[in-house]
Amino acid sequence: MRTNLKVVDNSGAKRVMCIQALKGKKGARLGDTIIASVKEAQPGGKVKKGAVVYGVVVRAAMQRGRCDGSEVKFDDNAVVLVNKQGEPIGTRVFGPVPHELRKKKHVKILSLAEHVA
Amino acid sequence: MWAALRHQTLSSSFSSALQQWRLGFSVLNRALYSSLADSSNSGTDRKQGLLQLDEVEKILSDVKADNVKVIPVQKHCEFTDYMVIATGRSAWHVRNIAQALIYKAAVGVLASWVKQKQQGARRMLLPSVEGQEGGNWIVIDSGTLIIHALDEKVRAYYNLENLWNTETSNNEGSQDLENAFVKVRRKNNSKKPAKKSA
Repeated sequence: MRTNLKVVDNSGAKRVMCIQALKGKKGARLGDTIIASVKEAQPGGKVKKGAVVYGVVVRAAMQRGRCDGSEVKFDDNAVVLVNKQGEPIGTRVFGPVPHELRKKKHVKILSLAEHVA
Repeated sequence: MWAALRHQTLSSSFSSALQQWRLGFSVLNRALYSSLADSSNSGTDRKQGLLQLDEVEKILSDVKADNVKVIPVQKHCEFTDYMVIATGRSAWHVRNIAQALIYKAAVGVLASWVKQKQQGARRMLLPSVEGQEGGNWIVIDSGTLIIHALDEKVRAYYNLENLWNTETSNNEGSQDLENAFVKVRRKNNSKKPAKKSA
């Protein structure tokens, strides 16, 4: 809730504030879907400021354990905007995205990403 | 529905697994017997339940999917080896393509399941599907092979071939950028001493 996240696709939004984590009592982590409100947007984008959108967290500063015992954490919190069916609104994803998205059934975002960590 | 099937334990009975599918029972049986005959002849090197490239190509041509492209992405993608993109003429066609591929994988799994039950092995993997509800873009993930079934408009919108075909050139471009930031001293071939910068 109220976390400011960076938007890393070309959907038009720049910053987004989380208003609800869809799964989990303690909040959303890497790979989870959130509902967010667009706080800052580019002038000619597909989403406007103030719109309520769904997003998938692709980078989180909180470390996430992997099955081999290692942990992965990033320097920033980033999100990719998605529609209700789970299809990404933008067409490209910038920056690295972790492998965790594959297990969470977000292969579409993985296939649009430029670098998979 | 497919997720439920995947999570189902192997201890459940054969018949209940069959009933869980909405596919025609008679069609399934016919295909099963024919594939049982096939699989007993073919080699057992293939991973059970995962799709292979040649099977996928055959199914896509059977289903009449348009514009099938196979892109080898081993070099710049760490999570997969091959990406297959196919276009469907309508949402229903896209969903059909996805169902045909899953069906083929499931039939393969069933055929090997019977064999494995006899041998006592317990590994069964089905390819996972995303995007089944809205028929715009369905992704079937089977390990080294990822199949994208798209609508015509969606394919133009996302432009996946551009992304993966130019991926290597993007990486090479960044390498040159790193070289560009290295300061190279000028070679002084003249007999005069080097000028000190003012």
